[in-house]
Amino acid sequence: MTTTTAPEPTKAPLIPPSTHRYADVIHRLEAGGSMLPDTPENLKQIIGIYKAYAVPMDFYWRDLLYIAEQVFLNPLPAFKYFISKEYLDRPNSYAGDQSQLRIWRGTEKAHPELLEFMDRGETRRMPKLLHHLWHDRVNMEFAEACMQAMLWHQGMGGRFNDYLESDAYKANADRAIKAYFKGNPLMLGLYKLFPEMVLEQVRQLSYYANLGLFWEVMAPVFFEMSDIYDEGGFKGVPDAMDFLVNGIFAVAGRPIYHHVFIDGECFEIIPKSEGFTWLYEAALPYVEAVFYRTSPFRGTKSYNAQAGQVPANQADFHYGILYADVYPVGSAGIPPTLLMQDVLHFLPPYLKEIYKQHRRGEEDELIQLGITFQRSMYNVTSAVIQALRCALLYPLDDTDPKHLQANRAFFEAQMDRFLRPEARLPDIQTQDYR
Amino acid sequence: MATILETAASVGVFNTLLAAVDAAGLREALESPGPFTVLAPVDDAFAALPPGTVQTLVDNPPQLARILKYHVIAGRHLRNELITQEAWDSLEGAPIAIRSTDPFEVKNATVVTADVECDNGVVHVINRVILPG
Repeated sequence: MTTTTAPEPTKAPLIPPSTHRYADVIHRLEAGGSMLPDTPENLKQIIGIYKAYAVPMDFYWRDLLYIAEQVFLNPLPAFKYFISKEYLDRPNSYAGDQSQLRIWRGTEKAHPELLEFMDRGETRRMPKLLHHLWHDRVNMEFAEACMQAMLWHQGMGGRFNDYLESDAYKANADRAIKAYFKGNPLMLGLYKLFPEMVLEQVRQLSYYANLGLFWEVMAPVFFEMSDIYDEGGFKGVPDAMDFLVNGIFAVAGRPIYHHVFIDGECFEIIPKSEGFTWLYEAALPYVEAVFYRTSPFRGTKSYNAQAGQVPANQADFHYGILYADVYPVGSAGIPPTLLMQDVLHFLPPYLKEIYKQHRRGEEDELIQLGITFQRSMYNVTSAVIQALRCALLYPLDDTDPKHLQANRAFFEAQMDRFLRPEARLPDIQTQDYR
Repeated sequence: MATILETAASVGVFNTLLAAVDAAGLREALESPGPFTVLAPVDDAFAALPPGTVQTLVDNPPQLARILKYHVIAGRHLRNELITQEAWDSLEGAPIAIRSTDPFEVKNATVVTADVECDNGVVHVINRVILPG
């Protein structure tokens, strides 16, 4: 078992130690660390999984935007996962020579490993339709489950959701709906009879755009982290977390918008001029909805709502990756398994080697990589917590005890969310949780 | 007396802020009679943000305008008036907390010079860019 402790203070601390149950973790955060202990294996695990996650994510963001902008209100969207060549080649705004803010040194087009997988799958080269029907493909259903978590929870900060209820949004959506169904009296009649039903579909499509624009950033961030690690660039977990913190700030002001293209004309359902930003309207709601909350999925575990096993208040939902019991996750079709299956295809060799050496080796690779994923998302959440501390509170080396106490209160409030028994924060403190 | 922007330009430590105001298209609004209360971060405050933060905002004027509007309160409010309330609504919409009166702190920034009076409002100089949330 490997444990780590906070570095020895060189001088007397300006505030007394925390008495929180997670005091060790809080002191580590105050020293500029992550919730995930700084060990070489943790660094290897999280970077490996970031890379393996970024490849399917490169498909997710492209297809989410393809659906939001092109498939739009197609009443029978059977081919919504058959992304067009245009969207596979769509230049990532944060990779390639054309990007104004280049995060990843690699290509702006779809990742080569993704293209190879789309071509061959797990089976062999065959027509796209057969790969789709055999379910030998990227599991877009996972991306849609994340989008639906954001749509369903709503009200998680930012102004995005309020805007979806505004008159301006309804007017913009109305123009796009009428243009899309022009010459289709059946659908126009349906819209006239049940306008809210169609509007709600457009709202959902706006969340497709939101999540697509969010992940368009994260894929190159993770690819670059993998490249830096391969070069020996990160000294430890805090370095990896700091890279994420800097990335969060660098793209915080990226516009979040929803444009739809109908017969070559662009309809701005959510214009960039609304001032919505990547940080406030996408990243923070995403972390809240997907890392913390989500919803109980149909799987091997049953919940009894009448016995209070499902909270009455949505804000208390705790079914995200930070709380997940990865072991019973294994039923076909449920979102976490879909993701693990996607990630499995792109594991770097050094991660496969670790899994072979532990537990049941390749037999329980999905479980082991699920727990690695959990570790890695505790590190991403740490980056979000440090970024918020940086944006809203005080530097870690501040010399004013009141400021340090405010930082302490913030960290403690964040750790309070992991006091419930389902939280995996205590588990990830040791290396033998696999 | 000079306007808020003229005053800021004469001091020489608000170059980034003034460039940002132009990039966001807020010059005309801030030249109007107002009055406004502006919490003005110095150049060092912008420089302390991680690399790329300011550039992304400058490339996207509506998003930049939103962050800048968070530094403006409608009306002319001197320090003595600001400290009477726990928080003030910014033009961005989100509240700005008054966290401490001595030293005078707004949100997580310290006011290094308060009550710089101008024709169309008042400026309080702060040492950190403040963000909604």
